[in-house]
Amino acid sequence: MTRRVLLLLCFCVFVVNTNSHSADSASVKLPPYTKVQLKNGLTVLLMEQHEVPIVSFNVIVKTGSVGDPIGKEGLASLTAELLRKGTRTRTSEQISSDLDFVGGEFAMNATTDYSSGSAEFLTKDLGQGMTLLADILLNPVFPEEELKKLIQQRIDGIKSAKDRAEGVIGRYFANYLYGKHPYARPVGGDERSLPAITRVDVQQFYESNYVPVNTILAVAGDFNVVEMRGLIEQQFNAWPARNPAAVRVESMPPVQGKRLLLVDKPDSTQTYFYIGNIGISRMNPDRVAIAVVNTIFGGRFTSRLNMALRIDSGLTYGARSLFDERKTAGPFLISTYTKNSSTEQAMDMALNVLSTLHEKGITQAELASTKEYMKGQFPPSIETSDELASTIARLEFYGLDESDINSYFAKIDAVTIDDTRRIIKEYFPLDNLVFVLIGKASEIQNIVKKYATVVDTKTITQAGF
Amino acid sequence: MIHLRRALLVAVIVFGAAAFGQDPNYGIQTHQLKNGMKILVQEDHSIPNVALYIFYRIGSRNERPGTTGLSHFFEHMMFNGARKYGPKQFDQVMEAAGGSNNAYTSNDVTAYQDWFPRSALETIFDLEGDRIQNLNFDERMIESERQVVASERRSSVDNSNLGILEEQLNAAAFTAHPYQWPVIGWMVDIEHWTMEDLQRHFQTGYSPANATMVVVGDVTLDEIVKLAQQYIEPIPSGGLPPKVTTQEPEQLGERRVIVRKFAQLPIVMMGYHVPESSNPDYYPLQVLKTVLLDGQSSRMYQRLIEKDQLAISVQSDYSFAFDPTLFTVTVRPKAGISPEIVEKAVNEELDRVRTATVTDRELQKAKNILLADFYRSMKTIDGKARALGNYEVFFGDYRKLFTVADSYDKVTKEDLQRVAKKYFTDNNRTVATLIPEQEEPK
Repeated sequence: MTRRVLLLLCFCVFVVNTNSHSADSASVKLPPYTKVQLKNGLTVLLMEQHEVPIVSFNVIVKTGSVGDPIGKEGLASLTAELLRKGTRTRTSEQISSDLDFVGGEFAMNATTDYSSGSAEFLTKDLGQGMTLLADILLNPVFPEEELKKLIQQRIDGIKSAKDRAEGVIGRYFANYLYGKHPYARPVGGDERSLPAITRVDVQQFYESNYVPVNTILAVAGDFNVVEMRGLIEQQFNAWPARNPAAVRVESMPPVQGKRLLLVDKPDSTQTYFYIGNIGISRMNPDRVAIAVVNTIFGGRFTSRLNMALRIDSGLTYGARSLFDERKTAGPFLISTYTKNSSTEQAMDMALNVLSTLHEKGITQAELASTKEYMKGQFPPSIETSDELASTIARLEFYGLDESDINSYFAKIDAVTIDDTRRIIKEYFPLDNLVFVLIGKASEIQNIVKKYATVVDTKTITQAGF
Repeated sequence: MIHLRRALLVAVIVFGAAAFGQDPNYGIQTHQLKNGMKILVQEDHSIPNVALYIFYRIGSRNERPGTTGLSHFFEHMMFNGARKYGPKQFDQVMEAAGGSNNAYTSNDVTAYQDWFPRSALETIFDLEGDRIQNLNFDERMIESERQVVASERRSSVDNSNLGILEEQLNAAAFTAHPYQWPVIGWMVDIEHWTMEDLQRHFQTGYSPANATMVVVGDVTLDEIVKLAQQYIEPIPSGGLPPKVTTQEPEQLGERRVIVRKFAQLPIVMMGYHVPESSNPDYYPLQVLKTVLLDGQSSRMYQRLIEKDQLAISVQSDYSFAFDPTLFTVTVRPKAGISPEIVEKAVNEELDRVRTATVTDRELQKAKNILLADFYRSMKTIDGKARALGNYEVFFGDYRKLFTVADSYDKVTKEDLQRVAKKYFTDNNRTVATLIPEQEEPK
């Protein structure tokens, strides 16, 4: 039992250097790295880190679930997960066995915006590890029986996940908030879309998206850049150049008015709820100032939301808010839970904390404390080679570079009270809100009507989100 | 993987190449305060940050019926005000200095964690010293925190089918030993703890002599010792908590528990009594667990998920423990697959390791996975601090960390078969099954 859930999960998008030997936290910089483009178009990023004899790989294929055809939601994520389920020369079991034997790791999955994988090997197993990694990425055969197996596991996995509200409320929220926008569609698919996916779909998705020019390969760890470049060319030069399928997604404008979805879970003794609207993209120039305000509002233990709902009132174990930054505007959300009988009190309180933010703004003391907090918590978020590989791969994906990280502290320091007033007004919704609740409808359905003009209902056992 | 110079390579991976060679302690230094608190320090200047842990050797095993969950509740109260820093100030002061914190309680220990930039070092010692010496219980904070813990219980147990089932498994598998009750406590006990209970718990378990501090990061031993002498050493030493003398009697026959509740899919959880962490069978059992259950090429994964396709997940647990504990296997059957069929398959796999030795490759693979996981868990200053503390507390000496690789290396195929025969017996098994009810509860 821990004292608190990890509020800092929402922090993973922030990254900074650390491994420089400077102990001065005001000057942390991302360690230098080399960018190379192979003849076939593959972007390669190489960062030497010799502290431990490990090499970490991070691969991004720049297509995610937004590339799923309508009615075949889950295709990008199935494709990613199926990569290791058989290649031209290795069965699924052989791949697992080879990986496990060197204590290696490989995992690949999809997000809305991209498909991403990570792998890690001891330096001494690097040759073997890279051969395996290249085989998985370049030569997958997507066996029919593996696809069927995975689809069935996914469908049952969704049923199982729905037995715990906390694990699925995000999917209901995304679906309800984004409506017809591609971010509404479940990344992992649902009970209806998954059975519609065929091996041909997977093969086609792979062929149109897993192409060198659409892929970033970041490597950080214990190697020499020149040698690693040679090894990568040796393994990946054979990957034929092709043009990727074009997927265009526009940012969703904020939802107007107030809408509420109540998902009935009849055994619930606690109501789980999200309140929010459309937030920001990773490339938003105000993102650091927004993060400062959000840290005060709902991003740390003494945040206003957690102070009101947990510390002062004991209504919940935790309350928080976050901006999920994506390629186009991701969601902003307030999230918490409380026992059935205090649902109304907790929702009123969360909304009150939000309106107080708008009415009274934030104090100089809060601003100063938050700046220290954000800078103090920053370095460990990119302490290891896998974190560094992931960081530089994502910078590349978003079209950013190391200056994004190297200017992070300066951007934090520059935020003024005036800035926060503008940020609150512009980015923290007040009159336009989307609510999603999972709870025992028979005990809470009467109170939810006051929050929204549109009220929709579902039951947790219904297919989809 | 690491065939030759195994221990050496792991030590270098974990503690850094610079420290190796000159120092048999791999750069870890210790200091004993006069009040009995032991301090472990490892200097690591790779980032300008520090991880600080304080482990207290008190947890739910030190509780009694009626006040179950008290250790965990107490852990929450450690953040709710002392003399110098009143209610709410602990977190406010720490965050303003750039730090964050957390804490956890298990059956055996309560651990407090601080993560902060080195500039906050003195503030952290001031905060910790204040609450260890002068914790203050405010009635209003007690009532509010009681509700917080009730909410935590509703999330981790009452609204989590896994949580409910695990609680019932432990309650059935242990009849005498305190591992039978949940760390978070029964809801009715949460509702009834008193101020006196909290005060007694503080006196019982929070003596400096019952604690170990671990500091890893951008610090020097000298500055830690100096700060500890100023802020921690004046705290008077108290006694140690009464010894937990209860031992779980041998289980003489299989036990079965059924939980019926609203759900879409069943869950099967099987538990076998196994020894404490400091027992020589600990390492063979960890290797066996890996052969059976870790990684997609493990036997249970291959059988239940890939070949027979009976389940959507299979996982296991065998954690650090002061006293004999449970080795658990948890399976979520696929829709339409009965718990009985899943149970039968698990039993058959356990039969196989009882009746024949595993292959050489399986053994080596398991050792490689365990070693790789071991050093991955110590890539960060936080991971190192936690590991040093765990080995000091559960194995009696942080230096046992340096011999982990050797301990795995010594395990043979025959050891695996021996521990399988000894512990995976029908009589030693408790099975808890969650059966989905489709109709809505009242």
